[in-house]
Amino acid sequence: MQEANDYYELLELTPEATIEDIRKRYHYLKNLYDGESLEIRALGDEFTPEIRADYLRRLDEAFEKLSALYKNEKAIVTPSVKNLDYDLRLRISQIECFTGAVLRELRERMHVDLKTIFAVTRIQPQFFEDVEREAFESFPAEVYLRSYLIAYARFFSLDAQRVLNDYLPRYRAAKDNPAK
Amino acid sequence: MEDVKGMLTASRLTEVTTENGSKHGNIWAVGGGKGGTGKSFLTGSMATCLALKGKPTILVDIDLGGANLHNFLGMVKPKRTLTDFFESKVPLRDVVMRTGISNLQLITGSIGSLEPESITFAQKQKLFRHIKSLDAETILIDLGAGAHFNTIDSFLFADKMIVVTVPEITAIENMYQFIKSVYYRKLNNIFKTYKLKTIVQDTWENRSAHNIHSLKDLVAHLSQWADSINHIFEQEMSDFVVHLILNEVRTPRDILIGANLKQICLNVLGLKVLYSGYTSYDEAVQKNINKRESFIVSNRLSPVVREIGDITENIETGTAFSIPRELYNARSE
Repeated sequence: MQEANDYYELLELTPEATIEDIRKRYHYLKNLYDGESLEIRALGDEFTPEIRADYLRRLDEAFEKLSALYKNEKAIVTPSVKNLDYDLRLRISQIECFTGAVLRELRERMHVDLKTIFAVTRIQPQFFEDVEREAFESFPAEVYLRSYLIAYARFFSLDAQRVLNDYLPRYRAAKDNPAK
Repeated sequence: MEDVKGMLTASRLTEVTTENGSKHGNIWAVGGGKGGTGKSFLTGSMATCLALKGKPTILVDIDLGGANLHNFLGMVKPKRTLTDFFESKVPLRDVVMRTGISNLQLITGSIGSLEPESITFAQKQKLFRHIKSLDAETILIDLGAGAHFNTIDSFLFADKMIVVTVPEITAIENMYQFIKSVYYRKLNNIFKTYKLKTIVQDTWENRSAHNIHSLKDLVAHLSQWADSINHIFEQEMSDFVVHLILNEVRTPRDILIGANLKQICLNVLGLKVLYSGYTSYDEAVQKNINKRESFIVSNRLSPVVREIGDITENIETGTAFSIPRELYNARSE
């Protein structure tokens, strides 16, 4: 774990970073050290080919190791529909409407807790809990809810479009008619 | 009058408790190699910020020969200068002049009479000793341009070491050189007290033979030499850091230069630098200086005022300026 921290430090990121953050920062730093920037040119002779090579090697290593770490994390915790037992697959095929309660039921049957989803999606467990409880007041703007639903569906290898089609009308109805 | 005295005593007490046992006010030194990068402007402005927050602050213009800090505070040439302290044995506290801003006082450098390098080591030691005994919460020293040993020593004497540069290659070159000199001198001082100075010097002089390209390599090399060196280094250098201010920023891309310089200092030179913040280019600054007005006081609408406030606070608390994420994104796309 200390190693991973060193990698984050080299990229000037924290462990909360997403794989996308890591990729962006990696390319940014690689660009910076290509020798054309003002900051590098001002170094003159100080910036020897050896120093450059040594730094780029460390940077590549950090990027590779962190990418692998994120991939493994996903591989371990994302259940794939193919590996699910027969009963559960049958249940998914019979779902008429992806409500919050249905999403929770599926998650519990797959033995996944909200923290695990956070580890992969980097979305706070609180939001998924609100999705499952259909606590619609937690989502003042649909666009956020939408992105959480997509992340949730992808995590469980569900059809994201279907989940959105089922779930969002319920949210909109509640919004339009708050008295209910 | 009694009230003022009481307040001073109170602030003095808080200093002693917050300053890890050191009994003097917090000393900030501002340097950076190249002239014209805005050192005096920023030193004067940061001091004004602190004073306006109600903190007793003293500015020291140590730019012997070219002292002009008084211009940034809306003052004409001060009556007494450091020349009186050095040549006429006037006590330092009597060279302290009031400025037009409450809580802010100024000691100005000698204008003309002393050659910049003619100040002896003993004189310098004396000056530092007396600066330490000044009654203020924060003492800001404007070192002026150059990377002479005199300047570097004054810089190392401070609690907060601050380097100012602008996004131009000449200024950045000088800044790298300045920071390297600071670290080299610091290493020398450390190993001198541990009677290891010759090792550092010998190794550095024969650096090509040892395949040493930078101070980073030097430290790595010395650590191999003996465990104790590594230990001494850890102990002395663990909280040694140079603060960096980037002045006259003209584009959002320029803001990143400060972060990049910090990155490069660490990864190429092996030196720890903290990016404290930036100030935007604003023509109003020059106009204010020419009119001998304090920028902070008379130009509150400029973004520069807020930026200097942020920088001052970052330096006080030892916080790094946090780069808005979208700046990185904009560039990589």
